[in-house]
Amino acid sequence: MNYETVIGLEVHVELATKSKIFCSCNAKYGAGPNEHVCPACCGMPGMLPVVNKRVVDYGMKAGMMLNCHINRTTTFDKKSYYYPDLPCAYQTTQWFAPVAVNGTVEIETSKGKKNIRIKQIHMEEDAGKLVHDIAEDTTHVDFNRTSVPLIEIVSQPDLSSAEEVEAYLERLKMLLRYAKVAECAMEHGTMRCDVNLSVRPEGSDQLGVRTEMKNMNSIEAIKHAIEYETARHIDAIENGTEVLVQETRRWDDIKGKSFAMRNKETAGDYRYFPDPNLMPVVIDDAWYDSIQASLPELPEEKYARYTEQLGLSEYDAAQLVKSIALCECFEAAHAVCGSAKDAANWMISEIMSILNQRKMTYDMLNINGTSLGELIKLVMDGTVGRANGKKILNAMFEDASIVPAEYAEKNGYIMSNDTGLIEQVVKAAIEAEPKAVADYKGGKEKAIMSIFGRCMKELKGNCDPQTLRTILIDTINKM
Amino acid sequence: MDRETLRRLELLNQLKLTEEQKEEITAFFDCREKDLAVLNAIDTSQTERQVHVMPIMTVVREDIASQPFTVEELQKGAPDTDQGYWCVPRVVE
Amino acid sequence: MNFYTAKADTAAERRVAVDDMILTKTMPTAAGSRMLDGYMSLFDAEVITRLENAGYAIAGKTDVGEFAIDLVGETSYHGAGTENGTLLSASAEAIKSGDVPAVVCFDVNGSVCRAAAQNGLVSVKPTYGTVSRYGTIPAACSGETVSVMADSTAKCREILDVLAGHDDKDGTSLSEEQCALVKTAAAKPAAKVAVLTNFCEAVDDAVSAKLDAAKAALTAQGVEICEIADEKIAAARAAWNILMCSELCNNVSRYDGVKYGYRTQNFTNIDELYTNSRTEAFGELLKTAILFGSDNLSTENYMKVYDKALRIRRVVCEAFEELFKAYDAVLLPACSRLAYTEAETKADKYLAFEENQYTAPASITGLPAVTAGSVQLIGSMFSENMLFETAKLLAKEGE
Repeated sequence: MNYETVIGLEVHVELATKSKIFCSCNAKYGAGPNEHVCPACCGMPGMLPVVNKRVVDYGMKAGMMLNCHINRTTTFDKKSYYYPDLPCAYQTTQWFAPVAVNGTVEIETSKGKKNIRIKQIHMEEDAGKLVHDIAEDTTHVDFNRTSVPLIEIVSQPDLSSAEEVEAYLERLKMLLRYAKVAECAMEHGTMRCDVNLSVRPEGSDQLGVRTEMKNMNSIEAIKHAIEYETARHIDAIENGTEVLVQETRRWDDIKGKSFAMRNKETAGDYRYFPDPNLMPVVIDDAWYDSIQASLPELPEEKYARYTEQLGLSEYDAAQLVKSIALCECFEAAHAVCGSAKDAANWMISEIMSILNQRKMTYDMLNINGTSLGELIKLVMDGTVGRANGKKILNAMFEDASIVPAEYAEKNGYIMSNDTGLIEQVVKAAIEAEPKAVADYKGGKEKAIMSIFGRCMKELKGNCDPQTLRTILIDTINKM
Repeated sequence: MDRETLRRLELLNQLKLTEEQKEEITAFFDCREKDLAVLNAIDTSQTERQVHVMPIMTVVREDIASQPFTVEELQKGAPDTDQGYWCVPRVVE
Repeated sequence: MNFYTAKADTAAERRVAVDDMILTKTMPTAAGSRMLDGYMSLFDAEVITRLENAGYAIAGKTDVGEFAIDLVGETSYHGAGTENGTLLSASAEAIKSGDVPAVVCFDVNGSVCRAAAQNGLVSVKPTYGTVSRYGTIPAACSGETVSVMADSTAKCREILDVLAGHDDKDGTSLSEEQCALVKTAAAKPAAKVAVLTNFCEAVDDAVSAKLDAAKAALTAQGVEICEIADEKIAAARAAWNILMCSELCNNVSRYDGVKYGYRTQNFTNIDELYTNSRTEAFGELLKTAILFGSDNLSTENYMKVYDKALRIRRVVCEAFEELFKAYDAVLLPACSRLAYTEAETKADKYLAFEENQYTAPASITGLPAVTAGSVQLIGSMFSENMLFETAKLLAKEGE
């Protein structure tokens, strides 16, 4: 018999805010244990939660990016369970009226396009971190991540393969990064995924026994886990190797197996109820419209504009829309230099390769697009040679405050139009390389390159190569 | 209130009752049935639930970070800490 | 039991005590619970800051029952304060002894109202949201209110004027304009008062006499008294017990022996640490409230019980709104008797969840309530000035 896998995902995404969702603690990574903690987020009594507006902004924005209906009155609820990473023994989340519901995300796989329905997006607080490897008999608790804002994106069980899941996650990442609401880096734990999976005979309209794998944090692991679980379920159904039960399982990526979790958290009743300390958030038209107006152009829209209006090649456009950071840099550079082709060329052949060399992601690009535009302009109008332009660009990676024109001036990267000087340099080079001159005259055209190189070096690159070449050939021919 | 439910409530709330307390609490729960009858005598099918007593208003704060207390201050009254962490018996995952 | 750190150089009339549900940086705050024995807050409650900024000295702290859900403080881990077997309220004693003219108390389940009525003092539980709850120990957040108990209506008003005001740190704090409405201003006493007769049936003779005296005093001063029965408002107790216990269950779940406070000596794993810490440190009434509150929120019971109680809250609010169309204030007892004995609380451990039938109407609705002359007056939102003026009529009669 043939089987189909039915998968629904719950994706947790940490929002890129400065402060936490209900208290003013710093929400950024990279502090010592419990340094980003206050009485509220370590469970002390007396502080009251007040919602960070930017969390609602971002929740709404994510909802709009995923074509959701935005609940104009959205409320917060408490979910209770005991676990050492949860200092109040409750998590404040959205149970009754989440910020966004009923959306869709379009994915594309080798089988074509497909719409994945989004059940809801809710805002909530993250839990803390447990460290198990400092002492043998003790778990160490760090509340820095406690109350960092999250959105949880809950899909309908519309996914049916590891390939679709990967496409869906990649699409979510791209949309949320375009909207600048989240970093979505699974390797940093800023995007995590619970996979709900069941298997049923193909064509059946009944769902099989569902298992949930929690806190998956790499796409590769998710793909392996889906393949493993699918096989385990089919084996259980076909061969009766085990009785499938609805449960939460942990994926062990090293062993390549999933294990039933013996976690208390899964055993209880969460006892959701509305938080009396948090008033409903009412999203009026002005607020809604301001978020709507802040939505970015989608990757497809940019692609169409780049190819149709700016005349970029399909390849160039596809490269740029991979990242919103690349697009923004490109667009700013284009606005200054006026040439989309030149700007795209610099982005793809220079900037993307520098990023790759430095093992930086495209989103880590820190070049100011306006400065890049100025640099391109300097190269375009012959003020700076292309090779020196690249040097300036590399310097800009180190120091984002560099003004290209000033930097070129200071470092002697301004092109020379002084033909007298060029002739002088050429003359000296010819005298220094009699063998190359003789070879050239003897018909070895390539021999001229060493003299050309010597001149360019002497001129520090500040010379139009065509002008140099003409003067050099003329001079040799006249000899 | 049966004993099984009571045992689940104890587990869920990390409490352990004595036999005597269990009997008393069972009696208290039985009173709830009377209370519920009082509440159910009032028709609320057309009534919206009311979580907050004040008129609805949106309360949000600006996204500004601050860190008013140090780890040392926060852990002054802590039963067990180590290198800035709170400590609990090892949690098996 | 009272803890005093009174500043000797402060004039008697500028001294106030606060009860032990209110966090103070310089004095421990235990909320009457062994769980928080010796707990030092890192910050002061907003009301402490306001009092100090206004030139008041915090003379000390008065003990409360565990998380302030009991009758008058008898469940404190320090033990019940008693005199000849009668339960004493630490806050009322602080005033009666002349140590302070007023105590700022946190009213969760009517204890302030009861203590004022039983000791012939004045109290005000102001409109919910007009005094910041920042820095109070959370118990039943949807109804708990910082309140004032004092030796006179004038003193109550004076202190409320200091406390009331908007606070950004409390998401349920009303606007400055709304808060200003409860501060002292010229007002007329109630012209028409409704006495809720169905609340007057189960009270003892002493309370009956107080009610009669109050009615007589109001009538004598030209206030029209009407007796009405309202079954909807009487449903407040059952609904409030559900809401209060569930919120409390959730709020005290944070006390687990890990971050601060009491930790058991007796554990080998995390569950034993949690369970034994909580079992050893929490008192019986609180444990009952936790389990009851938890059960009300279970998947099975939520709609049947908790959601029902939330709807009854609206029913009670609407019943009051209806009354306030015809009457300025509602008069009812604050308690069924003018004293509780330790013996009766031992015989009936859950008496607090019965006696709160008189205070639950104001708790569940957030309406302002003033206790004076051993009876209780409830008014519409922001009607504190009218209630105080009406209370003054009662006091005059008593003098």
